[in-house]
Amino acid sequence: MSFVTENPRGGCVLSGINSVLAAIDRVCPILHSGPGCCMQTTAAEQGQSGHKHACFVSGVSLPSSNMLEKEVVFGGVDKLRTTIQGAIDIIDASSYFVLTGCTAGIIGDDIVSVTEEFRQKGHNVYSIETPGFAGDSNLGYEAVWNTFIDKIIQPAKKKDSALVNIFGIIPYHDPFWAGTLEEIERILSLLGLKVNTFFTKHQGIDVIEHCSEAALNIIINPWIFKEPAKKFEEKFKVPSIRFPFAPIGATDTSNFLRQVASALNLSNELAEKVIAQEEDYVYSYLAQSIGVLSWKRFAVAGDASSAIAITRYLANDYSFSPVLVVITEPVFRPEDKERIIQNITQLEYAPPPKIVFASDQWEINKAIREEPEEITLLVGSANEKEVALEKDIQFLNGTFPMNERLVFNRTYCGYRGSLTFTEDLYDNL
Amino acid sequence: MGTQYSGVRESKPGRLNDLGIQSKEAEAQFKKGCLKRADRSFSQGLQCQQINSMACLMSLEDSVFVSHSPQGCVGCAIMAIDMFRVGQAHRGEKIIKNPRIIVTNLDQKSVVFGGEQKLKESVRKAVERYNPKLIFVYASCASGIIGDDIDSICANLETEFSGTTIIPIHCEGFKSKICASGFDAAFLSINKYILKKKKLPSIPNLVNLFAPTTVSYADQKEMERMLKSIGAEANYIPFYSSLEKIKRIPQAVASTSICKVFADEFMKTLEEDYGIPYSHTVMPIGIRNTDKWFRGIAKILGKEAEVEKIIAEEHKRIEPLVAKIRSRLEGKRVFICGGTGRSFAAAALIDDFGMRLVGLETPTYDEDAQIDVEYLNTIHKDFIIDVANMQPFEQVNLVKKLKPDAFIGVPDWAAKLGIPTTHVLDGKRPTMGYDGLLYLGNKIADQLSNPGFNKKLAAHVKLPYRDSWYEENPFKYIVGV
Repeated sequence: MSFVTENPRGGCVLSGINSVLAAIDRVCPILHSGPGCCMQTTAAEQGQSGHKHACFVSGVSLPSSNMLEKEVVFGGVDKLRTTIQGAIDIIDASSYFVLTGCTAGIIGDDIVSVTEEFRQKGHNVYSIETPGFAGDSNLGYEAVWNTFIDKIIQPAKKKDSALVNIFGIIPYHDPFWAGTLEEIERILSLLGLKVNTFFTKHQGIDVIEHCSEAALNIIINPWIFKEPAKKFEEKFKVPSIRFPFAPIGATDTSNFLRQVASALNLSNELAEKVIAQEEDYVYSYLAQSIGVLSWKRFAVAGDASSAIAITRYLANDYSFSPVLVVITEPVFRPEDKERIIQNITQLEYAPPPKIVFASDQWEINKAIREEPEEITLLVGSANEKEVALEKDIQFLNGTFPMNERLVFNRTYCGYRGSLTFTEDLYDNL
Repeated sequence: MGTQYSGVRESKPGRLNDLGIQSKEAEAQFKKGCLKRADRSFSQGLQCQQINSMACLMSLEDSVFVSHSPQGCVGCAIMAIDMFRVGQAHRGEKIIKNPRIIVTNLDQKSVVFGGEQKLKESVRKAVERYNPKLIFVYASCASGIIGDDIDSICANLETEFSGTTIIPIHCEGFKSKICASGFDAAFLSINKYILKKKKLPSIPNLVNLFAPTTVSYADQKEMERMLKSIGAEANYIPFYSSLEKIKRIPQAVASTSICKVFADEFMKTLEEDYGIPYSHTVMPIGIRNTDKWFRGIAKILGKEAEVEKIIAEEHKRIEPLVAKIRSRLEGKRVFICGGTGRSFAAAALIDDFGMRLVGLETPTYDEDAQIDVEYLNTIHKDFIIDVANMQPFEQVNLVKKLKPDAFIGVPDWAAKLGIPTTHVLDGKRPTMGYDGLLYLGNKIADQLSNPGFNKKLAAHVKLPYRDSWYEENPFKYIVGV
């Protein structure tokens, strides 16, 4: 199900699948699709995520069957076959995933059989049959993991009690994904854990094959990965915990650490030692610039995970006043909405902000424009810059889509990220 | 005139998109009519025509853009959105606006039952929210295959919303391999639904200046300055224009375009339908091309004498500066990759600097390309032509073999081979006219004399191709049809 949407954030499910795969080292997507889908899918996610693209293959480097009128009428499997063969011959990938565009999906090309032919010849060629019209890019993240669970991940020969898997941080759909995963890994490694982030440090398909050896799946997102987590646990006996947002700042990051430590029965003493040390790091900096940022009444517009984290940090740790939060991705399950609302409204001291669920830019702008309470800071996507200029208020492009800045390993997540976030809020006007 | 042009560029005889050939051979074979259409049995992604149809109109005032498609088909809009935002900033706008793009979001249900309701809802929302003068409705692969009749849906909706012109654009991606077809699709609809072949009294000295989104504000000002110097007023369209300016198209006394494949077909139509003569020459990049472009439009306006005087003055001003750059670039070997307009323009430009062309990648070969190749063959030795829309796998193979001193075009891949790169498509900064030449020349020369970034990058980063690929014939996958 999808709705008419003004200025949508990110692309179709094919975009999501493409960008998640592109973030894995030496994995080559092959598009069985119309001639523009390579560029469109890459631009929709990677192109709006701080101006970085997957280095291996993205955009016009992606092998594509470029289905034209002839393929629409007569079918495109022959073209697909030569495209896959060419990709195997020239691109030095460890595995290839054939993705389905709308064209292939509507005319019903049998891509499963074609990929099967290549697998029988010993090539790592897999299919993901989720055509573009099946949903938005968030669904793409789940589609990729469902495929991995079904076809790639091997049963564990041995378990590793210190190994954890991180899910819920979506490469490129979250502009800070790389830095966020690096910070999460840094923090968890202080607890003595080994971390599969899957998308950093050149992790490849081999890491995915063996991720069933982990002791715990940690989902960092308010709603994504519900079904895959269930399937993962049933098939590979790895339990999961959900932390509903990528935490920013001392309070929530310490909560996150405690939850992970408790789920893995780690020593409380170690966890508290790490927390004390990391909180000291943060506060030793915060203490050096008291009152440099003026007091703000703020609004946030962005995906649920970012919106929760930003609101909680600014309200609980920085004593800014929350006014309005707009959750910009479509959230369908009532339980998920409830979880999001709960995390935004249960604040330590501050009164809860108003919450609006809206994916349509006109509705988002309307909520911000017509908010009767004064707003002096807006943290949002590049799409909200217009309404911020209109209201003449401070604006920070801190959520996806992010075209106002170049992002490599920057993050707002964790202990260290909260300092970066606070730095970015400085505005000497 | 025979049948109405369909907007699909492949429909023109003698135009091909898949070819690898030496330039002298290309010239001779094309003359004999021996260049045959082909295909690639393996290829990388292309740019679909819908991307171009959307991009070329995105900065129009009072317009809403409805993409009748799943959400992914507005992915590339971000490039035009970015240009639009930066363009507003350059034009001194204080409140930088988003373009109003509404995607109908075709889904599984629409694929089965049709997407008419979603399209109606989108148009209704566009009117309620913005009451625009224009609504453009873009077809997509999905809407085309499921058979939604956007023409009649738009016609019906227009009776419901008088005051708004609702314009369907047939830019289904699967219809063409050549993304420039999307420009034609947009102009065909502008003619059909806005201008309607109605002749209007002409405005003296008004010249239609067609410009795609990738032309910077600095370039717009340079082009307008040049036209003004021969007494012409530019009707700069459709980038940063309005319905009013579009309506003035039939009132112009002449037309010209900044890009070779932008509005070239439309300018022919304007001559046929409204009697407006046009100049279709080259992209005004570099001395020779700028002269040629300038003389072309001056001739139509009867300003030959005036333009020669200005050109002489400009040469006097620019040539000593070019000579300085030339001394830094003379004899350097270059590989060029670009769109149809820019690739050939850049090839002519490097002659101003005394550089040597070793390879040229361009999306189509046709009569127009032949003219350029004939000229280039007189100034350069035999060079390789790769008729390809990007296809980086062929490009890196060629670049690694040819080992040029400099690469001009999309820098992503040649940079990873350690070659100094200069992008000729810089839609935010000057590249056109006499002054653009200096900017570009200095950029190329500086990159060449200070190539550290690309060299170090190449030492650390590997392209995705197997080593064996570089030993192969780069045109291995081009096969007959």
